[in-house]
Amino acid sequence: MDSDCLSLLPAVCLVLADPKQSPPDDTSLEKLLDWFKELHSQSNGQVLLQHQPCLLEFISNVCTSKTTDPAILSFTLKLTGLLAATTQGFNLLDEGGLLVYVFEREAWGVCDLWEDASVRSGWLQGLLDMLKHQQALGFICGNGLIKVILQLQNDRSLFVACLANQLLVHILNFLTSSNMTSGSDVVGSSESSLRPDWVSASSEIMNAVVEALSSEDCPRVLQGLRLLSLVLSQCGEPIISTLWKDVLVPLEVFVNRGSESLIQTLITVLEAALGTPLLSQSEYKVEELLEAMLGDGNRKECFQCAALIVKLEKCPEVLKRKATDIILLPLQCVSTQPQAEKEINVVLKEQLSQKASCISLLMQSLSSLAQLAHTKYLFEDISIHSITSSVALLLRMCSGHCPSSLLHINAFTHLIGCCKVQRCGLDTLGALSVYEENLDLRKDIFGVLLDYLQSPDSHATVLKKTFQAVKRWIVCSPFPDLLQFISHDLFPVLEKRMCDLRWEVRDSTLEFITQLTAALNGNSGFSEALHTSGMVSVLLSSLADAEGYVRASAVAAVGEAVTASFHQTVLVSNSKLLEDALMQMMAILSQDTEGFPRRAVVQAFTSWLKGSHLIMALESSLSSVLSLGGSDFDWEVKMHTLELAEVLMEKTLTCCPYAVQNFGSSEETRFTQALIKFKDFGLFDLLFNSLFDCDRPVCEKACALLVKLGTLTAETADLDHSILVLNVCGNRWGDEVQRRYLNKQQAKASVCVTNGVTGSDEGTDCDLHCTKDISLPKILQILDLDDMQRMLTLSSDHVVNSPRSLMEDILSAAQQSEENIVDCY
Amino acid sequence: MNLHSFLWTLKSPAVNDDLSLCVCVQYCLSGHPTLPCNVLKFKSTTIMLDCGLDTTAALYFLPLPLVHSPRLSKLPGWVSKDGAINLEKELKECSGRVFVDSQPEFCLPEKELLDLSTIDVILISNYHCMMALPYITEHTGFTGTVYATEPTLQIGRLLMEELVTFMERVPKAQAATCWKNKEIQRLLPGPLKDAVDVWSWRKCYSVQEVNSALSKVQLVGYSQKVELFGAVQVTPLSSGYSLGSSNWIIQSHYEKVSYVSGSSLLTTHPQPMEQSSLKNSDVLILTGLTQIPTANPDGMLGEFCSNLSMTIRAGGNVLVPCYSSGVIYDLLECLYQFMDSANLGSTPFYFISPVANSSLEFSQIFAEWLCQNKQSKVYLPEPPFPHAELIQTNKLKHYPSIHGDFSSEFRQPCVVFTGHPSLRFGDVVHFMELWGKSSLNTIIFTEPDFSYLDALAPYQPLAMKCVYCPIDTRLNFHQVSKLLKDIQPLHVVCPEPYTQPPPAQPHRSDLMLELQPPPMSYRRCSVLGLPFRRRYERIHLLPELARSLVPSEIKAGVSVATVSAVLQSKDNKHVLQPVPKPAPVPPSKKRKRVMEEPPEVLNPKPLLSGAVPLEPFLATLHKNGITEVKVEETADGHILHLQTEDVLIQLEEDATHIICDNNEPLRTALRDLVLRFLQKL
Repeated sequence: MDSDCLSLLPAVCLVLADPKQSPPDDTSLEKLLDWFKELHSQSNGQVLLQHQPCLLEFISNVCTSKTTDPAILSFTLKLTGLLAATTQGFNLLDEGGLLVYVFEREAWGVCDLWEDASVRSGWLQGLLDMLKHQQALGFICGNGLIKVILQLQNDRSLFVACLANQLLVHILNFLTSSNMTSGSDVVGSSESSLRPDWVSASSEIMNAVVEALSSEDCPRVLQGLRLLSLVLSQCGEPIISTLWKDVLVPLEVFVNRGSESLIQTLITVLEAALGTPLLSQSEYKVEELLEAMLGDGNRKECFQCAALIVKLEKCPEVLKRKATDIILLPLQCVSTQPQAEKEINVVLKEQLSQKASCISLLMQSLSSLAQLAHTKYLFEDISIHSITSSVALLLRMCSGHCPSSLLHINAFTHLIGCCKVQRCGLDTLGALSVYEENLDLRKDIFGVLLDYLQSPDSHATVLKKTFQAVKRWIVCSPFPDLLQFISHDLFPVLEKRMCDLRWEVRDSTLEFITQLTAALNGNSGFSEALHTSGMVSVLLSSLADAEGYVRASAVAAVGEAVTASFHQTVLVSNSKLLEDALMQMMAILSQDTEGFPRRAVVQAFTSWLKGSHLIMALESSLSSVLSLGGSDFDWEVKMHTLELAEVLMEKTLTCCPYAVQNFGSSEETRFTQALIKFKDFGLFDLLFNSLFDCDRPVCEKACALLVKLGTLTAETADLDHSILVLNVCGNRWGDEVQRRYLNKQQAKASVCVTNGVTGSDEGTDCDLHCTKDISLPKILQILDLDDMQRMLTLSSDHVVNSPRSLMEDILSAAQQSEENIVDCY
Repeated sequence: MNLHSFLWTLKSPAVNDDLSLCVCVQYCLSGHPTLPCNVLKFKSTTIMLDCGLDTTAALYFLPLPLVHSPRLSKLPGWVSKDGAINLEKELKECSGRVFVDSQPEFCLPEKELLDLSTIDVILISNYHCMMALPYITEHTGFTGTVYATEPTLQIGRLLMEELVTFMERVPKAQAATCWKNKEIQRLLPGPLKDAVDVWSWRKCYSVQEVNSALSKVQLVGYSQKVELFGAVQVTPLSSGYSLGSSNWIIQSHYEKVSYVSGSSLLTTHPQPMEQSSLKNSDVLILTGLTQIPTANPDGMLGEFCSNLSMTIRAGGNVLVPCYSSGVIYDLLECLYQFMDSANLGSTPFYFISPVANSSLEFSQIFAEWLCQNKQSKVYLPEPPFPHAELIQTNKLKHYPSIHGDFSSEFRQPCVVFTGHPSLRFGDVVHFMELWGKSSLNTIIFTEPDFSYLDALAPYQPLAMKCVYCPIDTRLNFHQVSKLLKDIQPLHVVCPEPYTQPPPAQPHRSDLMLELQPPPMSYRRCSVLGLPFRRRYERIHLLPELARSLVPSEIKAGVSVATVSAVLQSKDNKHVLQPVPKPAPVPPSKKRKRVMEEPPEVLNPKPLLSGAVPLEPFLATLHKNGITEVKVEETADGHILHLQTEDVLIQLEEDATHIICDNNEPLRTALRDLVLRFLQKL
């Protein structure tokens, strides 16, 4: 393939360098670069430039041309960088002075092109790609390119500025690693250990950072801080400590000034510093700076800062505690009575009195709390009990209840009906369920959650969050106490919600029931409550919902309910439930006009089959499901049907109780019996039909299953072929099998004729085309499944997506445009 | 500009009362925020704004069963514990409460606050707010006109007729009055003991009274300007609450009062609310906000549907006590979509009311009063409301009463919509008796006018489930604050309850009106002087008079002219006409009728403008030989004492007085000196 492409390369280079041609689109050029990258990585030391001199010519032409397009120049810069990434390539380009010509923008045919951001970006990318060896570093330092890169760091294009920062970090990093590999001092060594020509380069970059940080220009400061954080996270010593010493003073100024626009970036810098050895050395004041950012919780910015610090992974414990105390302040202030002795936080009070800042502060507070809860953080100064009560109270306030003692903060009216805070609060409340200390608050928590479930004003998304929280609290609580709550309080609400006007609510209610049933799988108390409370009949009636998504969720819920019913002591209603469920589900699979419910039905069967209890009961329906699912017009239904077939195969072939009962003792007999069973279920029809389906994933899956079956068949020596004969007439796959077989026969016959051989040992096979029945092993053999599988694994666009096709496209587009020009005249 | 009156006094023309500054007064005859009845005295007109009938008094009475109810007929009479008061015939004990056993009565608007015969017009905002009309128009000497839109009149008529039918179908022989005796009432158990103004409660009116009252209604359309005696103009605007519901603009040339009553910003069936015309009001009278501010109508509708669906699925019946017009249209529309999706398509709906048929049909013909969406259906042509299809497909059936066809066609489980929402009269009483004992059935309250617990009190103990989903689409406090921010009236007048949080939720400061300046609040029997004074009146100049004016510019862009004319006031319109020229004196020798000749019209003296500067004036006096001048500064200007001449000259901002005794030549001389500094018009 590559050799084909390489033969096209000269022509492509000519087209690209031709200023009369309009350049191909960016995607084509990027794909072409990708191909070069791939070639480069596979080159095994061979240098592309040596074999393809057209590339040198192309690069030179583009740079000297007076009419080069910016896109082509940018491409050329990137390509040159890529080609110069090896020392040999670099030398080849450098020999004729071409490299300087490319990266020295004054030398270009059109200087104005530098104004185009794509060209600047290509220039930086080229250097970045090239910087793989010391010669490249020498080239950059020696030609004064550092200065240009530093200018580009403040470029108006964010992409260029970002790339410049990356390049600078790469240079610094390269300086350090080159230094280290050159065998000089280890980490912590002084600047003097660096090679003198590189010292100036590194100090130029570091001085630029310090200058940027001392600037009054906010965007410049931000870029400086970004570079600093990159250096901290990507570079090693001695760069880090050297730079940090120089920037510490301006950093302290920023922190003390508390400028809002810099907070996020400052935190990123400090976060990066936390991951370095700087943290352990007190003179570098990393912790001190972070602490200063928090202040006493009396600054407007400290909450945002605290929220960010709480998220930090490597954060000193003391600092995290302080940040936690601060981030909890808004929540506590709104939901607890003020203590006379405690000084009232004026800044906080003012922010809470304005709607926008109140909501944002509380959401910060809540989401930080949720994050802490996810790690099961141990709170020290404040009990988790009181925090959880505060969240519950806040949620009550959001639905309009407020004890008069809390009216000291004018936040209450902002909160009533505020979905954002409700959702966030419910998430947090759910997360707080992990603390065992909260167990005695359960009644209160369930009260709040139940209020939300009952409230007619609860938004659909709020209800969804409520369901999630309820599930978390139920799952983590000791169960016997909960039965009362579930059957007397929760189920009636769920029943009502399943009749909700909004389909989203009906859907999330059913999803909740499914999840809850699955989570409490094996809990006989719950299963019994589910059946005795009448919930199951409500679930069954939801199978006829007008909305497809709801029907799908109802199918899943019924599926779980059926599974659950088999965990409890046998109830008379169980078989009735399965019977009803099967009847309605089969009706959905055969008649439902929407795909989701049909997919859900097949999935429910799969999940039933995975459990060991239901196989006997499902036997009568399985062949219908396989047949209906396999002939569905929705490809996902077909995929799920194949997954069902896979589970069926696994279960039957791996000695499940059901399989053992009927089969004889020997492995072979059992296998044969299993195959006969598959035939009865219509499994082979499903697999062969799917193999020739119009949807590639379906074919792929069917093919994989058939390959598995083929392997097993081949392994079974004394398989009686006559028992496993399939009818190949009257269906699509049978025709295909016959056609392939005939093709093979004809090929074989022609070989025989050429060789002068007549007759064959396999003469009996010649009659195959006129027979209807072929044995399974024979069919598997004819189909050449391995080859089919290989073809199917290639993506459907593998032909049109190849580099060759890309190059041909570029060439033919050029040709067409020439023809068009002729047409115009 | 100050006109300088100098030795010249304006002789005012004969001033009509209307031209004097006057105050606008509001008499509040009802304290009920959503059943208002106010009277506005504005520019010599007396306008009643709505006349709502408070039917909650019916809750003190026993239900009127349509079919003989053994339970209700066997209730024990009430005798005080000591046996001293025996009202066995009037009061019955039922489920631990005492009810009046008589035809239910209603609380009327206050009649004693002002003479209702002086009312010139009554403006009706919606059909719920006109139910007391016969009490006002028939028994007070009222001779005016009632203005209402056509749907308001027609549906209002239906509601009145329904009320009359409900009462007349179950006649009660006796009227209970003894219990109203103050001495007896205070000894009764609650809540009867606490009922107020019981002597003003009245029985329902008759059909004749309804017809007579409604014959006084003059129909108006939205934005139609109606002149009242030339003094004020009233205009109904769509209020978005119900079919034909209106807010009213009452305005003169320089004053504007807006009356906002029962408005809605939700997208339901009526035409949307017209807001922009309410801008620039001096006073906005705000009534009829939602009665259940914590219940969001959308949420309640959802609640209604899910409860209904749950009951039907479980095999129970649903009873919806409701008015025969209004929210029922939206409920039916919502159910039309919901029932199929909830797989309850075969469940029958019954709408039982003496006016059910008319209500359903009327709703379909008032196309121009409907929201745009429904209006456009009419041109397809399709019925605007989907209940037509429900009727066609036999899913919705309507009957005048439970008697007759209904009893033979009735099929359960079903949904029944019927009145009256108070549960004291109407067909609903029968269903309460019929279904109350089964817990499978559900009663869903959707009308917000009555406390559902009070409504259910005589039916206790009750097994059927009760669901309270009040659907009140009227403005809530959040919407009204936004509306007021937009239209910015100078002053807002509202019922007292709107100025404080609901008593049950004292912390909900968001459920009250917080305005700057604070709203003026009223309660029953309040008399408010509305906070604006009329300052201007429009007067027309006849063209020939206008032509005769000679304006002179007194400063850039401002010209002034004097006008001499005769002011004619007729039908509250004022016109300045040229002064009739004196008839040429006939060459008659006889001069007997001198007295009858028009008065001689003298050319008016010129008007003066400008100011007399002190220093230059003193200099002028000095130049004219007046040297001894003592100047005294006053609050308004200066007093100059010409000591030799013993003359005082008072120089003020807008007047100059020369006070001298019998020295006319000196006065004239001084006057001329002053005039030098002033400009003549």
